[in-house]
Amino acid sequence: MGRYARKKQHKGDKPLKEKYRTKRKTKDLDQIHEDMKPKNAEKLLDQNVDFDKPGAAQYYCLHCAIKALSIEPYTQEEADRAAGIGSYVAPKKVKVETQPDKGETDMQQDT
Amino acid sequence: MRLEKCYFCSSTVYPGHGIQFVRNDCKVFNFCRSKCHKAFKKKRNPRKTRWTKAFRKAAGKELAVDPAFEFEKRRNEPVKYNRELWQTTVKAMKRIEEIRIKRQNQFILNRLKKGKELRKQSDVTEVEKNIHLIQAPTAKSRKLEKKMVQVIQEEDVDMAEEDL
Repeated sequence: MGRYARKKQHKGDKPLKEKYRTKRKTKDLDQIHEDMKPKNAEKLLDQNVDFDKPGAAQYYCLHCAIKALSIEPYTQEEADRAAGIGSYVAPKKVKVETQPDKGETDMQQDT
Repeated sequence: MRLEKCYFCSSTVYPGHGIQFVRNDCKVFNFCRSKCHKAFKKKRNPRKTRWTKAFRKAAGKELAVDPAFEFEKRRNEPVKYNRELWQTTVKAMKRIEEIRIKRQNQFILNRLKKGKELRKQSDVTEVEKNIHLIQAPTAKSRKLEKKMVQVIQEEDVDMAEEDL
């Protein structure tokens, strides 16, 4: 019996690593804030039918984490201010409402 | 050479340290160490993470609003070298730093004063509440009674002597 190389020593730690891979990166809160601006929101919610996209791009979900989004996103500027470049400025509240359900009427027509 | 501030903990990122992340919308994030990078990947909020500068300022733990913070700025204009200007600037920087540190320390001292007050108050209430443990509630009146009895007896004796 010869020696065997020990293999698969990092087999168990995959799920967490995989979750935080850059290729699995989901949107950050400040990106969602950007999407929520009326101009961008319109575009995202009114997309052309594209069968390559999930739900043919007709059911775009803007925001789920409403509570987390109800305050201004953290920025590099705030980090700088915390480091002593400028005084502290309290983050503002942002009014976030549930997304209007536009798909309902279409669904009824389909069935 | 520019010393950037860490996106997460606001500490200075020195050359050769940390990691830079460029998101797919071209936004640049600098991190001073893997601890901060990992926290970012986990979508932690620096305002709610207790060890960051942003938290300490947001929670009122440190001096947050002060004119002393208005000097350090990101100035994107190159200045022509001038020895005198250079010297006065360095001198001013040192002095401002001195004042800033003094104010920050004073702020923390003032903040801790409140705790001292509260501790003293709680001590007083504790003594008032639990005084019965070291002194029976009726102890004082009993002593007084004894004294009164003694005084009366003495008076009686005096009266008796006078009668004689």
